[in-house]
Amino acid sequence: MSDLLPYLIGGLANGALYGLLALGFVLVYRATSVVNFAIGEFLLVGAYLTYTFALFLPLPLAMLAALPMAFLFGLLVERGFVRPLLGRNVVAVIMATIGLAAALDGGVQLLWGPDLKYLQGELPQLGFQLGDTFVPSRAVWNLLLALPLGLGLLWLLRKSRYGVLVRAISEREVAALALGIPTARILAGVWGISALLATLAGALLAVASGVGHNLVFFGLKVFPVAILGGLDSVGGALLAGFLLGVLEALSGRYLEPILPGFTEALPFVVVLLVLMVRPYGLLGERQIERV
Amino acid sequence: MILSVENLKVVYRGVILALDGVSLEVREGEAVALLGPNGAGKSSLVRAVAGLLPKFEGRVLDGHVRLFGQEATHLDPVRITGLGLTAVLEGRPLFRYLTPVENLVAAGHRLSSRELKEGMEEVFARFPRLYERRHEQAGYLSGGEQQMLLLGMALLTRPKVLVVDEPSLGLAPKLVEEVMRTLDALRKEKGLSLLLVEQNARAALAIVDRVYVLERGRVVFEGDAQAAQEDQDVMEFYLGKEEVGFRQAKRYRRRKRWV
Ligand SMILES: Nc1ncnc2c1ncn2[C@@H]1O[C@H](COP(=O)(O)OP(=O)(O)OP(=O)(O)O)[C@@H](O)[C@H]1O
Ligand SMILES: [Mg+2]
Repeated sequence: MSDLLPYLIGGLANGALYGLLALGFVLVYRATSVVNFAIGEFLLVGAYLTYTFALFLPLPLAMLAALPMAFLFGLLVERGFVRPLLGRNVVAVIMATIGLAAALDGGVQLLWGPDLKYLQGELPQLGFQLGDTFVPSRAVWNLLLALPLGLGLLWLLRKSRYGVLVRAISEREVAALALGIPTARILAGVWGISALLATLAGALLAVASGVGHNLVFFGLKVFPVAILGGLDSVGGALLAGFLLGVLEALSGRYLEPILPGFTEALPFVVVLLVLMVRPYGLLGERQIERV
Repeated sequence: MILSVENLKVVYRGVILALDGVSLEVREGEAVALLGPNGAGKSSLVRAVAGLLPKFEGRVLDGHVRLFGQEATHLDPVRITGLGLTAVLEGRPLFRYLTPVENLVAAGHRLSSRELKEGMEEVFARFPRLYERRHEQAGYLSGGEQQMLLLGMALLTRPKVLVVDEPSLGLAPKLVEEVMRTLDALRKEKGLSLLLVEQNARAALAIVDRVYVLERGRVVFEGDAQAAQEDQDVMEFYLGKEEVGFRQAKRYRRRKRWV
């Protein structure tokens, strides 16, 4: 039992980042119906932004400074790539985000070079001893940042006036427009928030494993996580992130010795199994039938 | 002039001509009905004055919309509602996954927290049934309750002109009457101007001053509501009375029953 705890903690630490990223992804999907295939690149750009700020700022400040830049980046993407295509067919928008992903991959390599970079500086040590298990600083930081931010955002979406507007627009944009709600501005803000979340996840990831193209693979996990949570459920995304993080850790502990390489496939296997029982995902909403 | 439409031509997807030179006016404090059969172009006119045509792949080909004397033909909906025109589109355009409270919050997006709170209290005082169900998803409200909620939402946008597209659709006769009475009361109380789009001529004529009848994208009758009600021809020909001889009017009447 006591050898299980470190795995659980590691799983939660990873899961927090999955959750953050998926939260941003699902937020955009719910609000604008756009499947953002460039979400992994948002993470990458965010990590590089943090890396750049860390060259001349202490790391905590660098992470903070990257956030408004990320928000701006999200606004720009919405303006430049998404808004011109809104109202066109779904495939056009999807192709655009795939194209954007490729462009960002290339652009990032041009700007920062192809080799793996490490962030300068360190976050303050927050690791502590829990019984006979050590909780590493990385896990504390991930949970400390991801949980309040994720839950805070959920709360905002549920309770704040801005959140109500986002949900209204996501359900029926024309009706929102007819009430004079500035839908374009609000949706752009959602893209900004999504990029901000991805950037924080990217920065926390980079603290542990450096910045390089490897981060995009982490980004790919967002798709199984989001589907698992129910594509349209923001809370589900957060939950599914943690769930998948823990399952991966457990699989690494118990299944890997029997089935080498299984952990890689695990997210997709879990998604298939869950969707068989709950086609809307864990927390997906059911449609209201009456018109 | 609060709202004036001049020689308006509207097309969808560049080819489907929905309005073919429509002119109409709504004056200060006046209630005007826009009647006509299915496909006449009523909703197209609503979308045009609300600046929503692009959302329906439509556009103004020719003509003008003026709001409070100001050119408003190609303004976006945010500006138009800002000027004081709110349109309630056809098909109960509320947010079904949101509660009545949240629907009202969305509608009152321009208000300060205090104004919003007061506005909401006013709406709930007027519609006690909404208050009882204020935390349920609006999609599960009855048709009548949804229509009341829509009127409440429209109020919270603080309009000077209200354009309402077929509020009676799908409601039982008693509820239709209630909706019309409420519209009438609200208008008088708030000093609003009203453009009421309807297929239910009888219900609409009871609360308006003037009437336009639209057919195939053109205004085919325009006049006093009183006169229209008394004018046998108008009632029979355009609005379908019991003893109708004309094939066309008969067809219209039958279609009306289906709704
Ligand atoms: N989005 C659209 N795309 C293409 N054609 C449209 C569109 N909306 C309406 N039309 C067409 O424009 C014409 C006028 O339609 P409109 O909806 O304005 O009529 P209406 O008087 O509101 O009818 P109803 O009483 O059925 O609501 C119809 O021929 C209709 O088929
Ligand atoms: Mg219509």
